[in-house]
Amino acid sequence: MTSLVAQEAPAADSPPPARQVSPPRAHRRRRGERVAALWPLALSLLFLLLSSCAALAPLLRGNAWWWVCAAVGSVVLLSAAVFRRFGLPRPIAPVASGVVLVGTMTLLFGGGTGLFWIIPTPQTIGLFSGLIDSGGASIAQQSTPAEVTLGILFLLAGGTGLIAVLMDLLAVTLRWPALAAAGALVPLLVPGFIIDDGTDVAVLVVTAAAFLLVLRVDVSARRAREAARLAVGPGEPRVYRPERVRGRGRIGGTFVLGSVTIVAALILSTLAPALTSGGLVTARPGGLLFGSGVSPMINLGQDLRRPKAGPAFHYTSTGTEQPYFTLLTLDEVIGLTWTARIDGADVRNTVDDIPRPFGLDANVETVPASTSVVIEGVNSHWLPAPARATSIEGLTGRWYWDSRTRAIASVTANTLGQEYTVSSLELKPTAEQLRRSSTDYPASVLGNLQLPVDPPPIIEETARQVTAETTSNYDAAVAIQDYLRSSAFIYDTDAPVEDGYDGGGVDVIGVFLKEKRGYCVHFASAMAAMARTLGIPSRVSLGYLPGVKSQDLEQGLGQYNVDSHDLHAWPELYFVGIGWVRFEPTPGRGTVPNYEQAADVGTPTAAPGGAAATSAPGLSPDRLADDSALERGTTPQSVEASNLLAVLGFSALGLLLLLLPGVARRMLRRSRVRRIRSGGAGAGLAWIEVQHTSLDHGIPTPITDTPRAFAGRLERLGTLDPASTEALERVLLALERSRFDRSPVRADTLAADLTRVLRGLHGGASAGIRLRANFAPTSLFATLAAVLRGDRRARTIAP
Amino acid sequence: MNLKPTRSSTDSSRAELASVPSNDADTTVDLGELQEAGRAIMRNVETVIDGKHEAVQIALTVLLAEGHLLIEDVPGVGKTMLAKALARSVDCTVGRIQFTPDLLPSDVTGVSVFNQAERRFEFKPGPVFANIVIGDEINRASPKTQSALLESMEERQVTVDGVTYPLALPFTVIATQNPIEMEGTYALPEAQRDRFMARISMGYPDPDSELAMLDSRDTNSPLALISAVVSGETLRDMMLTARGVFASGAVKEYAVNLVRATRDDRDLRLGASPRATLQLIRAAKAQAALNGRDYVLPDDIDSLAVAVLGHRLVPTSRALGHHHQDSGPVIDDIVRRILADTPVPIGVAASALSRSVTQVRAVGSTGTS
Repeated sequence: MTSLVAQEAPAADSPPPARQVSPPRAHRRRRGERVAALWPLALSLLFLLLSSCAALAPLLRGNAWWWVCAAVGSVVLLSAAVFRRFGLPRPIAPVASGVVLVGTMTLLFGGGTGLFWIIPTPQTIGLFSGLIDSGGASIAQQSTPAEVTLGILFLLAGGTGLIAVLMDLLAVTLRWPALAAAGALVPLLVPGFIIDDGTDVAVLVVTAAAFLLVLRVDVSARRAREAARLAVGPGEPRVYRPERVRGRGRIGGTFVLGSVTIVAALILSTLAPALTSGGLVTARPGGLLFGSGVSPMINLGQDLRRPKAGPAFHYTSTGTEQPYFTLLTLDEVIGLTWTARIDGADVRNTVDDIPRPFGLDANVETVPASTSVVIEGVNSHWLPAPARATSIEGLTGRWYWDSRTRAIASVTANTLGQEYTVSSLELKPTAEQLRRSSTDYPASVLGNLQLPVDPPPIIEETARQVTAETTSNYDAAVAIQDYLRSSAFIYDTDAPVEDGYDGGGVDVIGVFLKEKRGYCVHFASAMAAMARTLGIPSRVSLGYLPGVKSQDLEQGLGQYNVDSHDLHAWPELYFVGIGWVRFEPTPGRGTVPNYEQAADVGTPTAAPGGAAATSAPGLSPDRLADDSALERGTTPQSVEASNLLAVLGFSALGLLLLLLPGVARRMLRRSRVRRIRSGGAGAGLAWIEVQHTSLDHGIPTPITDTPRAFAGRLERLGTLDPASTEALERVLLALERSRFDRSPVRADTLAADLTRVLRGLHGGASAGIRLRANFAPTSLFATLAAVLRGDRRARTIAP
Repeated sequence: MNLKPTRSSTDSSRAELASVPSNDADTTVDLGELQEAGRAIMRNVETVIDGKHEAVQIALTVLLAEGHLLIEDVPGVGKTMLAKALARSVDCTVGRIQFTPDLLPSDVTGVSVFNQAERRFEFKPGPVFANIVIGDEINRASPKTQSALLESMEERQVTVDGVTYPLALPFTVIATQNPIEMEGTYALPEAQRDRFMARISMGYPDPDSELAMLDSRDTNSPLALISAVVSGETLRDMMLTARGVFASGAVKEYAVNLVRATRDDRDLRLGASPRATLQLIRAAKAQAALNGRDYVLPDDIDSLAVAVLGHRLVPTSRALGHHHQDSGPVIDDIVRRILADTPVPIGVAASALSRSVTQVRAVGSTGTS
């Protein structure tokens, strides 16, 4: 990479200025050179843009998107260069390339709605806003690596084009190539926030090299232009013109700067995952089908509302009934929403041998079943598998089962393209066994009883009312299920969204019970919450319905196809001796588990604690309160607190970053004044401070001004009060004496005069400018940019 | 006539010029006195020239910097008046040559006459043997005659019939010329223009000044009222003081950068010579002294650059464009543009300073050899 830097340089740096023949031709030629010098810059910018775009690769599937981005970026950057070649005025070129961007986007995505395919019409704009919406939605829904839908592609291409325009504006029009890196940073930073690995190191290195190339080419272009300007016409007597000494020394500087940058970038990139695993972003436990940070339930709803269902997977099963496929289980109510508590992957929990479910009595009938699944379109860290899996074979990557919920998950792998066989146990409890189940819940499920401090009263009221005539927990559960499946409730995936009560939160359940419209998420969470009010441990599982049997003979008759509309949520209630038992309260969806039927097959033998069943509804409220208080006091609050801390920390960090320039500037100023006061530095530093403060206040400080001329300009601005003007003159005199006189004279009042001048400058400025000077001091950035550019003149001003 | 100077005398005179004078308390005047004397001369001159403060100031600066002054403008704006007033303000010998097409070199330098009584040639010094020589309409004379004067300007000596006569010090030529396109003029070659330290043009007075002039001058000749305010001795001391003004490395670097920029400018066919650099610094020292400073500021360089560099530069025909008639304004604009484009080195206290001094010295020595 670095050799590229070295090679590129001489190409742009070799103007043969002295060899022209006649003045007019020489002039034309020189102009050509100046324009030609822009091409390497444009190309190196393009290189920077494309290499930084490549950083998005881990987030997206395939590579077609990169080519589209590359095409849009090239069109924008090269068209800007062409515009300049044909002498378009500097400020116009970025606007023109922006217009080109719009045209290109219309051509690519307008679908022929544009006038002459490239001029956007209102129809095109409508189309675009639709694309933006769908792109944003699919970004929120999908996991990494995401399928590049048209909407995402539109966003990617448009973003690349905008960054290209920005880079061109910064690097070519404003001649701040160092800032052009800001554009390149955008794609570089994105992966760091989304996936743990952060940006690929190779991409990082290539991008850093590309950035250096941009700087290098820019310096060369500047030098070439300077040389062209210095070049004198044809063979006139230039007797005294000495050899121009143009050192190649800056290449060394480039390398040093380059290596520092790359090392810093590497350090930062290793830090980035550490940052992201801290808080905010870890809310993405689940995986990716259920996007990052957003409630899984909301995501599920979005998937259900998708107009066209995509295939999820297909399977064949040896079981007696078609299984529900569980992805993940939400077993805690934190705040007002259902969430999955993730304990982190336990490496001992390998999936080739999963123990028998805890608390499953031997007398409950179980039927082993084997299900072979072929994933088509599910992209998630959670594996769809029938409940109570005992072993899974054929998976690639490392997968673990969660010891609480038995959900199968992976940290690194995802489900895409997996083909595996799940051995599981079908649970066939009898109604009698369920009725007789005791309420001596083990400690591990007590957490599944807790509810928020102040749930809407309608939940408990409805639950009590519906279950008034029941005697056991099982009957109560069936009563609730029947109530929710009754004709009073209407299955509707749109109503909750329209009325603003989407999701499975506890307050939403209150609204849902009144409105009586919703979809699986609402039914499932309502039933789970109602069960909890009655003292039955409950949780909500998310996953897939069994799907439909394939009608296609080629696929084989035993195959079932599951698509994204089969996404489903259902409640599971805990019964001692049996474990988690599935219910189906959503009307018109799935199959209602019929335990009454199974009762015939089952053998009602031992009846442990039959009397206890009746006492279940009357579960001691004290105990409940104690439990929930205990739970809330420990885990949920600490989780919440850590989230809050993370939010606070990040806001503080952001605030700090915002304040950083201002604070740095202030400290610099303080230290300068202190050094001057202590005699460690003289008028030179004082003058630099005056210039920098002026720069901060929007007063340009050209290096072509003599100090006196600059002071005169300051005074003519009329913002200085008379005392400051006098102080300014004293500082100026001190500078002149120190820089231009034989022996500098020590000025005792220098520090005082300096502070007087600075105060005058600041006080005379308008409020907006003062704000800018305080928080975004230009001098800091200008110095930084100058140093980055390798501008030696800037450094001669520095002390 | 052999105008070539003898080698030995050239070296000695240059050595004398180049050597930095020691700060003898006897020979130099105090800066305050110098400034006062300068003001007195200015006041004196300005009684006859109205509203041309800047031109007068540059003229005085050149006088003090031991340079020669070229006043170029259309007839009747007071060129000769300025030259005469300046000469009369100082109590020293003044020579005046009115250049005409038939003027001969010997009319300028002097001639050897055969003395019948003593039966040998006797040198009769020409008008150039004076402290201040006013060369009126210098571009009316033939190039041969111009050269006779110009040789004496640079070498500060006159060679007639193989004998070299040194000129008195101070020696300053104040020449006036009409713009070259006037009839009956011979343009001064670039090489000869280069010997003048500065060129100024008077320009027309503004309406107020012209009115005031009408009131004050319709009856009597104002020149008659002018009397010397500074003795020749004092002027010599003032010159020594001005030479002793300090020019820091940064200022010298700035001057060198400026001059180099003229050599590399795309609008200029011929840039300024190393002699220009020398004279720019020298003039800047004089100006600093006149402002009561014993060190040169970049601002001195800035304010003098147009006058000192302007007449040495030759613009390309493209830069002249349709202003082909008069290169003066075009050149002035180019110099101002270069001034605005050249960074001012602020310099660093000690170490970098010595380096740039040696650099400037090196350039200077190539220039004079």
